[in-house]
Amino acid sequence: MVSQQTRDLARRLLAEEAALDGTSLTAGSTVSRVYEKLRRNLCALAGVAGFRSLASRALTLAKAEAPSLNATQVTEDGSLQVPSEASDGDELTAGESGIILLAQLIGLLHAFIGKTLTSRLLQDAWPNAVFEDCNSEDGEKHERAR
Amino acid sequence: MSARDKVTIHKLHTGVPGLDEIVGGGLPEFSFNIIAGAPGSGKTTLAHQFVFANATPERPALYFTVLGESAIKMLRYQQQYTFFDPAKLPNSIRFINLSQVVLEKDLGAVLQEIIEEVEKANPAVVVVDSFRTMVRIPHGSPGEMDLQAFIQQLALFLASWQATTFLIGEYAEDELRDNPIFTVADGLFWLSQIAERNSVVRKLQIVKLRGQASVPGLHTFRITDAGLQAFSRTFGLSGHKSKPPSQRRLSIGIPELDKMMGGGIPEGDSVLVTGASGTGKSVLATQFIAEGIRQGEPGIVAVFEERPQAYTDRAGSFGLDLEAPQKDGTLLILYLRPLDLSVDETMNEILDAVKKIGAKRLVIDSLAGFEMALSPGFREDFRESLYRMIFALTGIGVTILSTVEVDESFTEFPFSTYSISFLTDDIIRLRYVSIEGRLRKILVIIKMRGGNHSQDIREYEITSKGMVIAGERLKNYQRLITGIPERLNRSNEKEAELPRKSKAKSKT
Repeated sequence: MVSQQTRDLARRLLAEEAALDGTSLTAGSTVSRVYEKLRRNLCALAGVAGFRSLASRALTLAKAEAPSLNATQVTEDGSLQVPSEASDGDELTAGESGIILLAQLIGLLHAFIGKTLTSRLLQDAWPNAVFEDCNSEDGEKHERAR
Repeated sequence: MSARDKVTIHKLHTGVPGLDEIVGGGLPEFSFNIIAGAPGSGKTTLAHQFVFANATPERPALYFTVLGESAIKMLRYQQQYTFFDPAKLPNSIRFINLSQVVLEKDLGAVLQEIIEEVEKANPAVVVVDSFRTMVRIPHGSPGEMDLQAFIQQLALFLASWQATTFLIGEYAEDELRDNPIFTVADGLFWLSQIAERNSVVRKLQIVKLRGQASVPGLHTFRITDAGLQAFSRTFGLSGHKSKPPSQRRLSIGIPELDKMMGGGIPEGDSVLVTGASGTGKSVLATQFIAEGIRQGEPGIVAVFEERPQAYTDRAGSFGLDLEAPQKDGTLLILYLRPLDLSVDETMNEILDAVKKIGAKRLVIDSLAGFEMALSPGFREDFRESLYRMIFALTGIGVTILSTVEVDESFTEFPFSTYSISFLTDDIIRLRYVSIEGRLRKILVIIKMRGGNHSQDIREYEITSKGMVIAGERLKNYQRLITGIPERLNRSNEKEAELPRKSKAKSKT
């Protein structure tokens, strides 16, 4: 399970994106846009195959917490896909399940490249957001978007 | 063409300590370079150090990853190095993955992708890691670009776009010869590592570098948490002008020994003090360094067989204060004991210390300990490296006193077991002699390149004040240097004097 801090960071990204067009933070379309931005930036860094493997792992971890994601899949190019027989894809990733998926993806980045570099990558995807490292209560460094 | 008409090639800091000196002052700007070597030899780390040293937001670095190590894993590991500055990502350093293009398309498409990114970012530095993996992808369609053409066009394009470039590739040593790919490169860096018994020896060679003279040969390097550190074979002193020979004599702190040496050790000499265990080599060396401190000449002591505190305490027992000069920075005692040191990095450490405090005197105590501290693979280079270091240091006016232990023989009179006498200007030999049921100590100056010296064999003692040479030369004995002298009776004494007198007569 990812930490509360990482979930908060996922929520902040959703808030950044939602603020652009006034949609709800937990709307499925907002989750999709955040995911797509991450996909584009991470594909440039790690390659499509590299991103796809990260996203697949994040989705598997997220499904354990949010069964509503069970029908969701990662496609060849790393984007999210919901089988046609399932309900609207945006609905599947809306609400808390979308936050969990994004948090799992960010959590993997934290685990592999650390919080500072993850923060730099997020900054690149959301250049208008201000990310800064600060000391958390437990002494760990984490990122905060304002 | 006059010097004024020639284009100035700017040199870029490599970011690798010691490498700038090896490549002749820095890497030529806009050069197209290949870093080749076996997996694990440090190629990627070297490229990263260069990138982090030179990338700026205005002129960033583009780091293209192809196949092989994934960028995520590369970042995971590379950020462990102290040179890795996360603040440089992504504005100054951009990692771009080309694996999909390589897998799905041909080299022409890869080239096009690189060109687009370069035109967009206007980078100062471009790295392709690893270009070798591209050639292993079988495409095979007619008219497809081959690797040589790809590199040719890439080199042409990147030079025009004023980028300094590194291509990284895994190559075995025999592949370096006659490989047409390497003809395109302005610089070819070869990294290798060889396992010697339980140690790994890393070597770096600048196989070629256009536009400037690099230091030839194989240079040792080490990979630590700070990344690569290279140790030039010339110890960073290749550009230094040698000091003209000095007429000055340095006191050893033992007045009688100074007299025997015609006033002391000629400044800039390399002196070897040789003798069996317990003859007082270290005491003599300590007096030499302490006398230098007393005369305002900073000193370095490189010890291998005892710790600095023990060395300091022992000096104190002879009334020589080495604590205060260590505190005020005029004396450094280096303890160099790790068993996997390369000879060049050990010498580099000594040289750094010499430069740091402006040392005029250096003691190496002892050469046997020095050799033992080295990784086994480096021991065969010991004499050659020692020669280079002594030559470099004495060239800038440092006076070196080295000690070496020799087996006490009662049939021979060896100067040193290391056959390093040729490295030294002066040799002082200490030895035991058995006289009248007592083990006594004698010393003799074997050679002094810089001039005349006493031929006397003198007895000395190690007292609470250090080495003290007492009395006149030992006149009443012959065969002193065998260690088992014979006392001369009166008739023997006359016989012994005769050859000398007749020699003196023949001279007149």
